[in-house]
Amino acid sequence: MIPAELYLLLSAALFCIGLFGILTRRNALVFLMSVELMLNAANINFVAFSLQHGNLTGQVFALFGMALAAAEVAIGIGIILVLYRNFSDVDVTKATTMRW
Amino acid sequence: MVHQLPSWAGLAPALALAATALVLLLVDSVDPDTTNTSLLGGVSVVGSLASLAFAVWFIFGGTGIPTSEGGVGTPVLFNGQLVVDQMALFFMIIVASVTALVTLASTDYVENHAYQAEFYALVLLAATGMSVLSAANSLATAFVALELVSLPSYALVAFLKKNRGSVEAGLKYFLIGAVSSAVFAYGISLVYAATGVLRFDGVATAIESGTVQTVVDGTVQAQAGSPAVPMSVLGVGIMMVIGGVAFKIAAVPFQFWAPEAYEGAPAPISAFLSSASKAAGFVLAFRTFAVAFPIESLVSSGEALNWFVVFQVLAIATMFVGNFAAATQEKVKRMMAYSSVGHAGYILIGLAALSATGDGMALSMSAGMAHLLVYGFMNTGAFLFIALAEYWGVGRRFEDYNGLGRQAPLACAAMTVFLFSLAGLPIGGGFFSKFYLFSATLDVGAWSLAAALVINSALSLFYYSRVVKAMWIEEPTGDRSIESYPTGLYTAIVSAAVVTVLLIPGFDYVSSLAFRAVELL
Repeated sequence: MIPAELYLLLSAALFCIGLFGILTRRNALVFLMSVELMLNAANINFVAFSLQHGNLTGQVFALFGMALAAAEVAIGIGIILVLYRNFSDVDVTKATTMRW
Repeated sequence: MVHQLPSWAGLAPALALAATALVLLLVDSVDPDTTNTSLLGGVSVVGSLASLAFAVWFIFGGTGIPTSEGGVGTPVLFNGQLVVDQMALFFMIIVASVTALVTLASTDYVENHAYQAEFYALVLLAATGMSVLSAANSLATAFVALELVSLPSYALVAFLKKNRGSVEAGLKYFLIGAVSSAVFAYGISLVYAATGVLRFDGVATAIESGTVQTVVDGTVQAQAGSPAVPMSVLGVGIMMVIGGVAFKIAAVPFQFWAPEAYEGAPAPISAFLSSASKAAGFVLAFRTFAVAFPIESLVSSGEALNWFVVFQVLAIATMFVGNFAAATQEKVKRMMAYSSVGHAGYILIGLAALSATGDGMALSMSAGMAHLLVYGFMNTGAFLFIALAEYWGVGRRFEDYNGLGRQAPLACAAMTVFLFSLAGLPIGGGFFSKFYLFSATLDVGAWSLAAALVINSALSLFYYSRVVKAMWIEEPTGDRSIESYPTGLYTAIVSAAVVTVLLIPGFDYVSSLAFRAVELL
């Protein structure tokens, strides 16, 4: 069996790629894709350790995670659509009517 | 009689909210163009009051108290995924009360908007999520319930879809929320990797015994071969769970969305998010850290995972950031948004004022719970007053409120009660809840927390008084005429003010209820 540490490394790498995308990209759609990467990093952990621990808890959570990620994208696309209608762009740095 | 009901009936407060949301969607599908605000708003208010009635009935009927102490036992559902104990019911009461106030006020606020049925349905779905979150006893149900709170909230913040501020607020809330839920999910996956279970009691058993656990037929037991829990993986997981929680309660370093979302959102939604959503985040934090990550075993394991130090830093930073930023604002709504961040810092004392052996947890956590209940009324009321000002078309700055006290004395008197109670003057329950938090910090000798609480409360009096001064002392500048006095908004504001004042004599009772709830965890 592949050692569990390698799965942790893979998922951590995927998580960091997603985080890097969020911090550097300005396009809201790419932002969404990066969040998906981070959520799937969690799913890799769940499935890998479900096998490791020999119970199904992790696999069930991974299914929940996928369903919730889909729901989140559905809301996100809606918000990005109204963003485009109001600001004529999907650049997340353009929406700056409020300042702190 | 409660003890004759099946255990699923313990979820009645959440089920009532979910059923109301479905009824609203049904009304919407029968008549998609309806703008019958009294029907839609009426159904929502009745539904949330029903939820409140169930929760109050259960909490006084002894649900969550062991039968040996004269209660009727704790309903445990789905193999321990959900528990309806006294703490769950306490937070269900907060959520249902805030939902009732917000939906009542919304009847006037969204009167002329399209998509009203969707608006109320989303509010009630989010409230359902908060109610379920109060009872969540596993990281899996907690994550699903947290998303059920978040997803409708994103849509509600961006509800005014032709208003650039509202859309921008929705976008920022969504982006930060999506990232933090990914961080939370990854944290949960690491906790699962380390302990082999997601149920809070199972995680606690794994930490106490130091061996990976598994759940067989609903009971937690050690895994075959009893492998050891990798504490480093668990530690990273706990930090990421703190990150997910910090977003929901708008604590530093995840507070950036809060001022934008509260300022841009429709004001009743700001009230809903800053009171009920924050309470839901805190119940998740309280239950996770009190039950799943027991501080005494983590500290005695020698791996330096004492999370209360993290919460001490977060609490102090959140108090200072929130209150100092609030003091420099020019707009009332944004000031209230930062004040809400500051209050998250006060309530974090509930998780921060502990000793390394877990002493003082019952006192500090019940103080946090009591403050959340009082805050639920006074903060909702203050945001609903801002909703009233927006309804009248009064501007957003402090100067725009000048002389409002002469035109609307009743609403302004209520607002004065809210603001002074938020600041901690003995005009509402806020004084006692802050005092209780203060005594909790002194109990464990957390002097830095006590000092931060006092300094920030004193500072907050300055910026809250600016609104009171504008309303009552300043002369009105422009000519402003107030034609109508909306019933729904007024009723909601006045009831919130009455409850805030009634919590002065009732505070003793609330705090003992909260103390009992924490003891029974």
